[in-house]
Amino acid sequence: MIQLTNVSKIYPNGARALVDVNLKIGKGDFVFLVGPSGAGKSTLIKLLYREEKPTRGQVQINSRNLVRMREREVPYLRRSIGVIFQDFKLLPNKTVFENVAFALEVIGVAKREVRIRTLATIDLVGLKAKENAYPHELSGGEQQRVCVARAIINNPALLVADEPTGNLDPETAWDIMDLLYNINKRGTTIVMATHAKAIVNKMQKRVIAIENGRVARDEEKGGYGYDA
Amino acid sequence: MMLDSSGYILRETINSMRRNPWLSIASVITVMVSLVILGYSVFFLANASNMAKSFESELEIATFVQISATPEEVQALKIQIEQMQGVDSVTLVTKEQALEDFGKTMGGEQKNILADLGGTNPFPDKLTVKAIDPQNVIALAKSVGALPGVDKVRYGQGFVDQLLKFTQWLRWIGFGVVAAFGVAAIVLISINVKMNVFSRRREIQIMKLVGASNSFIRWPFLIEGMALGLVGGALAALIVGLGYNSLTMYVQSSLTFLPVVQNEFLFRQVSVGLLLAGMAMGALGSGFSLQKFLRT
Repeated sequence: MIQLTNVSKIYPNGARALVDVNLKIGKGDFVFLVGPSGAGKSTLIKLLYREEKPTRGQVQINSRNLVRMREREVPYLRRSIGVIFQDFKLLPNKTVFENVAFALEVIGVAKREVRIRTLATIDLVGLKAKENAYPHELSGGEQQRVCVARAIINNPALLVADEPTGNLDPETAWDIMDLLYNINKRGTTIVMATHAKAIVNKMQKRVIAIENGRVARDEEKGGYGYDA
Repeated sequence: MMLDSSGYILRETINSMRRNPWLSIASVITVMVSLVILGYSVFFLANASNMAKSFESELEIATFVQISATPEEVQALKIQIEQMQGVDSVTLVTKEQALEDFGKTMGGEQKNILADLGGTNPFPDKLTVKAIDPQNVIALAKSVGALPGVDKVRYGQGFVDQLLKFTQWLRWIGFGVVAAFGVAAIVLISINVKMNVFSRRREIQIMKLVGASNSFIRWPFLIEGMALGLVGGALAALIVGLGYNSLTMYVQSSLTFLPVVQNEFLFRQVSVGLLLAGMAMGALGSGFSLQKFLRT
C-alpha cells in the first residue's frame, strides 16, 4: 500500500532528515516508527500525507505517486488519509461536534449526512456525552479522541499518527491505543511515530527504527529497543 | 456540492467577522479612508480641470491697431479677423473708450487727462480677440499680428505659456494623487486580510489537512474581503457625497468667483465607482494575501 523508493529529504537549511530510505507497508498493517528525536520520524510521516516532498526518490500510496502529484490533487489524497497529532490541533472555538463535522463540511458533504456520520463517529470514539463541550472543557485523552474521530470520519485507508500519546498519561495513552487497535482491526493501515516504549513492547507489531535518517532496524512483532 | 458548501461559506464569513470585530472594523475604516480620499481626489481633479478650462477661456488677444487708422479701416479689420479660422469673437475698444477707461483708473476727470497728456490721445484702437480653442491662442495671435494695419498684438505671451503648462501639470498631479491612493488602499486591505488569515491559520491548516480544496478555503476570505470593501465603499460614498455637497454650498456662497462643479451625473458615477472600487480592493487584497498561505 505504501512504498518509499530511495527517498532522501534534505531541508533548505541543509539538514539531512532522511537518507536513501526504502520501505514497503502493506494494507491493514500496524507499524510503529521509533528512534531518537530528530532521527527523521516526523519527516517520514509528513511525506505520507504530502506535507513535504522528498528531495530524491519516490513515495507511492495505493499506486498514487505523491511526488509527481499535482498541487490541486493533494486535497483528494488527504481525504483518504487521516492524521493525528501530539497536540491534537483542535479548533478552540468549536464544540466537539463542530470539530469533527468540520472535516466533512469543508469537503462539501451534505448537511444531513454530516450530522449522521459525525454522531456515529463521536459515538465510536466514546464521546457521545461530550458532543457539545468545547476543547478546553475536555481532558487530554478526550481531546485526542476528538482528533481521532476527525481523522477517521472519512473512512481513510491510512491513518498516520505523530506521537499521539506524547501528551497523555500512561493510562489515558492505553485508551487511545485501544481505540487505534480497533480502528486497525477494521482494516485501516496505521503508521505511528512514538517514544512510548511500554506501548511498543506490549503491542507486538511491526517496528521500524530510524536513526540519522536511515532505517536501522525493521522487524515484525518487534520491541522498542531503546532504553530511553 | 457547491450548493451544500454555500451555506457553510456564508456562515463562516459571518462567523469570521463576528470573531474578529476589531479587525473587520479596521479593514472597513481603511477602505473608507482610502476611498474618501480617492473620491475627493476625483472631485478635485474635476474641479481642477474645470478651473483650468475657465482660466483658459478667459485668455484673449489684445490687437492694437496702427494709430493712423481711420474708424472705417478699423471696422474692416474687425470683420477680417472675425472671418479667420478659430476665432470665437472680436470686440472693439476705441481709442476714446480707452482714454476714458484710463481716466477712470487714474480717478481724475477726462478732460484734464487729455490736457495732461499734451492734447493728443496716445491710445490706439484695440480689438479684443477670443479664440474658440484656448490652445490655439499663440498661433492665432501670430497670424493676427501679421495682418496689415495691425501695430502689435499682446496675449500675455509668457503668461499663456505658463498657464497652459500649469493646467497640464494640475491634471497630471490629480491623476497621480488618485493612483497613489488607490495603490495604498489595496496594500492596506491586503495587510488587513493577511492579519485575518493569520489569525485563522490554525483553521486553514486543519482545512488543508482534512482535504478541503484551495478554492473552498479561499471563498470565505474573498467574500469577507469584498463585503468589508463594499461597506467601506458605501461609507466613503456617503461621506464624500455629503461632504462635497456642503463644501460646494459654502464655496458658492462665500467664494463666488471660484467655479465649482455641481454635476448629478458625476456624483452618481463617483458613488457607484467608490462601491465597485471598495469591492475590487477587498477582493484584490484578499487574493494577494491568500496566494502565499495556500501554497503547500
